[in-house]
Amino acid sequence: MEQFITHWLGSTPAFAIPLALASMGLVLCERAGVLNMGAEGYMSLGAMTAAVLTLTLGNPAIGILCAVLAGATLALVFGFAVVVMRCEQILAGLATMAVGLGIAGVVGRSYVHKSFEGLQPLDLPWLDQLPLVGQLLFHQDILVYLTVLIGFALWFLLEHTRAGLKIRAVGEDPASADVAGVQVQVQQLLAITASGALCGLAGAYLSVASSSIWVDNMVAGRGWIALALVVFARWEPLKALAGAFLFGAIEALLPRLQAIGIPAPIYLMNMLPYLFTIAVLLVAACSGSKKGMEPAALGQPYVRQDRH
Amino acid sequence: MRNPVFASALSLTLLSASLLPNLAQADAFQLKGEPKIAFIYAATARDGGWNEALDDARQVVADKLGYPIAVAESIPEDASALKNAIDLYVQRGFNIIVGTTYGYSDGIAEAAEKYPNVAFVNASGTRNADNLESFYARTYEGWYLAGIAAGAMADSNKLGMLAGFPVSVVNWDINGFTRGVQVSKPDASVAVLYTNSWWDPVKEGQGAKSLLEQNVSVVANNLSSAAPFTEAEKADKYSIGFQLDMSANAPKGHLTSVTFHWDKYLVPTIEAIAAGTWEPSEYGAFPGLAEGVVDITPLPDSVPAAVKQTIATQRAAIIAGEMTPFDGPILAQDGSEKLASGASLDDEQLWSMDYLVKGTQGGAQ
Repeated sequence: MEQFITHWLGSTPAFAIPLALASMGLVLCERAGVLNMGAEGYMSLGAMTAAVLTLTLGNPAIGILCAVLAGATLALVFGFAVVVMRCEQILAGLATMAVGLGIAGVVGRSYVHKSFEGLQPLDLPWLDQLPLVGQLLFHQDILVYLTVLIGFALWFLLEHTRAGLKIRAVGEDPASADVAGVQVQVQQLLAITASGALCGLAGAYLSVASSSIWVDNMVAGRGWIALALVVFARWEPLKALAGAFLFGAIEALLPRLQAIGIPAPIYLMNMLPYLFTIAVLLVAACSGSKKGMEPAALGQPYVRQDRH
Repeated sequence: MRNPVFASALSLTLLSASLLPNLAQADAFQLKGEPKIAFIYAATARDGGWNEALDDARQVVADKLGYPIAVAESIPEDASALKNAIDLYVQRGFNIIVGTTYGYSDGIAEAAEKYPNVAFVNASGTRNADNLESFYARTYEGWYLAGIAAGAMADSNKLGMLAGFPVSVVNWDINGFTRGVQVSKPDASVAVLYTNSWWDPVKEGQGAKSLLEQNVSVVANNLSSAAPFTEAEKADKYSIGFQLDMSANAPKGHLTSVTFHWDKYLVPTIEAIAAGTWEPSEYGAFPGLAEGVVDITPLPDSVPAAVKQTIATQRAAIIAGEMTPFDGPILAQDGSEKLASGASLDDEQLWSMDYLVKGTQGGAQ
């Protein structure tokens, strides 16, 4: 039993980290008032970029770095459409998603199903032998620790810095922020680009760390789960991090239950992330608390002439 | 020809005369013009698994028959997208359309009705008509042989198998494999793990890891990513592949792969269409080891000669029709009898296989 839990917790990050990175990126973006439906596309592009570069150069670090850049670049295109050209955010987001999936499929065409030496876990002797949490805490690759750091950094940025205040102001009331001298468009573009970078990193994690292989469509809907997680986490980065670990733990539990011979209710358990999200929405709607509300200006393009 | 009665009588005679030669083979499909073939895939053709096996067959068809072949990739499974693609091909004079997925079943059936002069075949489809034949392979025959090898090489009584969804075409692979394992090790059990996905390497790798944590000595992979082979290789355990030869992914531990050879179905079928002798089966085509559409890759030298001999004998018996992997008695996982001794499963029972056999562990609800 102890072994079972150790392995289960130790494998949770493989599922949790991509969700955590993507949903934290989306939290940042939505706090700036931009609804970003492109996560699946940035993640696909990131996964493909990281895998192809790791395969050709043999260096996962360069692959991951370029995946972050690729995600950020694609997000910038989305940003240009919605912030500068003021396109409808949902449609532009879906279009970017399709572009990301398409580029990944075409460019990665000849690199499908080629396994490579991906990112390896750090070796911390003795510590990783600790019962229950040893594998989870001390036998992970560097990106797992980085993800937790990013979570705390984002929380600090949003809640305790002037820069974070500007981002939040833009998401709540862009007209007032504009009057107060905040450059609305610059803030939104920065948030969008950062969210693309984090989604690119999430994709890179899938291909280079979780599975050491790239397959077309391997993001497999994780971008959408990340989007649901943002609501689940009530637009707070640390809650998104925790939620991702909860969802990841469920996903890591499923194969292990089956492997020990317990017929797992797979359809029911695959519904859980969405059921949780609906439950959180219900609780939030019933409690009526002002904390953790959807950013007021989410999804509305800001045009200065509308100021009143 | 002033007399209308005479005219119609004459034309009727001419008409029936022109029909006469066809009456000899009333059901055979007659192709108009030279064969022009189009393959339509739901995803990229070189996907490392299902599509790639079909695409390999396409190359054999091109080499052997020399007909022009067009390829369309990533045509979504919804009927409107598929119908557009088929319309375009038919307008451009293509008269043999090869579909490649279950999801095309209904769209292709509609197209077959709309274009009675075009021949359609569809891999793993469910619909058949006068100009449409669906085809799938008796993959369980290959899995049964692979199971014999796996059971013989396993150094414990515990084996594991990764699969996609609990549907009949997957269940019969698991059951065939398990019954093969039991030929070598009657008391062995096979832990079954459904990933609930066809192409998620993260879930496949983690699934293999979960099985290996339970000390299975063989990981049989009914899915197509390389991740499970990498995990099995790392743990120094045996692995078994599916669809294509997966030996490159696990040079040490790969025992065998159950492979498709669709050319063995497509070449004779397209030849028959071109010759005007093609009569689509109303139940679809269901070839197996005997037709060469399914087989296993050569076993490594580490497999003892006696085991290879057993497999060769069983393979010959299946090809000769003397036995099937599903000869009774068949007990379900919980011990209830599914088929009495002396009988063997017919195709209808195979297609409705919603249970796992005794000796399997776990599964899905």
